Amino acid sequence: MNIPLNIDWQQILLHLFNFSLLAGGLYLLLYRPVKRFMDEREAHYRAAKDEAETLTAQAEKLRSEYGEKLAAAEADIARRISEADLELEQYRAQEVEKARQEADKIITRARENALRERAEIIAEAKKDLTEAAAAAAEKIALGDAGDPYEQFLSLVERGSGDEPAK
Amino acid sequence: MEKTRRNRFLLLWLCVSAALLAGSLALPDAGHSESIGAAMRDAVLHETNKISLFGLMDVNPSLISAMSVTAVLLIAALLIRVLVIPRFTYVPGRLQLLLEQAVGTFRGMARENSPRRCGFLGAYIFAAAAYIFFGTLFELFGFQAVTTQGHSMALPAPLADINAAIMLGVLSYFVIVSGAIAGHGIRGIGGALKEISLLLSLSLRLFGALLSGLLVTELVYYYSALSYALPVVVAVLFTLLHALIQSYVLTMLTSLFYGELHGEE
Repeated sequence: MNIPLNIDWQQILLHLFNFSLLAGGLYLLLYRPVKRFMDEREAHYRAAKDEAETLTAQAEKLRSEYGEKLAAAEADIARRISEADLELEQYRAQEVEKARQEADKIITRARENALRERAEIIAEAKKDLTEAAAAAAEKIALGDAGDPYEQFLSLVERGSGDEPAK
Repeated sequence: MEKTRRNRFLLLWLCVSAALLAGSLALPDAGHSESIGAAMRDAVLHETNKISLFGLMDVNPSLISAMSVTAVLLIAALLIRVLVIPRFTYVPGRLQLLLEQAVGTFRGMARENSPRRCGFLGAYIFAAAAYIFFGTLFELFGFQAVTTQGHSMALPAPLADINAAIMLGVLSYFVIVSGAIAGHGIRGIGGALKEISLLLSLSLRLFGALLSGLLVTELVYYYSALSYALPVVVAVLFTLLHALIQSYVLTMLTSLFYGELHGEE
């Protein structure tokens, strides 16, 4: 059969055979190895990405946990500070009360001491006044003669001078 | 110093070019073994100039071109497989980047059009694109072959032969049909038959595009007056554009219809 345009089935099949050789060869020698390498690299980077995402998620989880722990610790610290403040306040009040009681004791004791000393001073003053009064009275009673003993002694001395010779 | 060297190079280059031009004009024309009509008819139909395939049969020159391209590509692929691919690193160099870009482009095209079933499609369009691209560039080299009639002729692009274009077009259609069957079973054949025009359009699109380039080149080279400077644009740039455009068009259409008939949205 004479086909127009010189179409030749045998040559079409030869071209097909040639192309199948080329396609198969290119697939085995070029396309598949390059594709496999690209897949491997993609898998490598995907694994790295997944690992990074996992690590990021873990880090995020840890951060969240630590955040919660931090918040709990801060709450605990705040509670403890509050308790400590309360205790401090109570302690301060106790100490103030104790100091006040101590001060009261000291004041009482001082007051007692003062009273006692006052009494002693007054007693001593009375005694001094008494002595002074006695001395004054004596002085008034005796006049300028002075002490009688002294007067006796003076007379004795004076008499021995005036006695006649025997 | 640098400027002097450049001027010397320019002078030498102009002298050599002028000498070659004078020589080619001075020498007597060897004459054409066939008329322009016959040459262009033969470029389309390949009725006259046949080449013996290892003494087994006479075939169109495009088949020899196709086999040469296949041999070169397979040797290059083998060398790359042995020498380059084992040294691939996660941070690619230039050659690795080129290879990955080539594979990744067609793999991505297949995945984009047929996400559920893209392995075979990617491999097929990669091979088809390589065949079209390098096959088209092959004609740039102008490798000579001796026909059975004893004439010397430049080997054309494989797809400048309608038999090669029909092969690739029909094969692409059957790949699309296989996608339809894989997606919908026997019912998929019905859907594929609705697109039966693809058989013709894919084949003739390839053949027409490649043939037009071949005819223009053939025409230009037939007349020696047109053989200066013009081929730089006509042959090189047009061939490069052909290679890129036809590779892209066939692979894009194949993957598009494959995905559509396979049942992808």
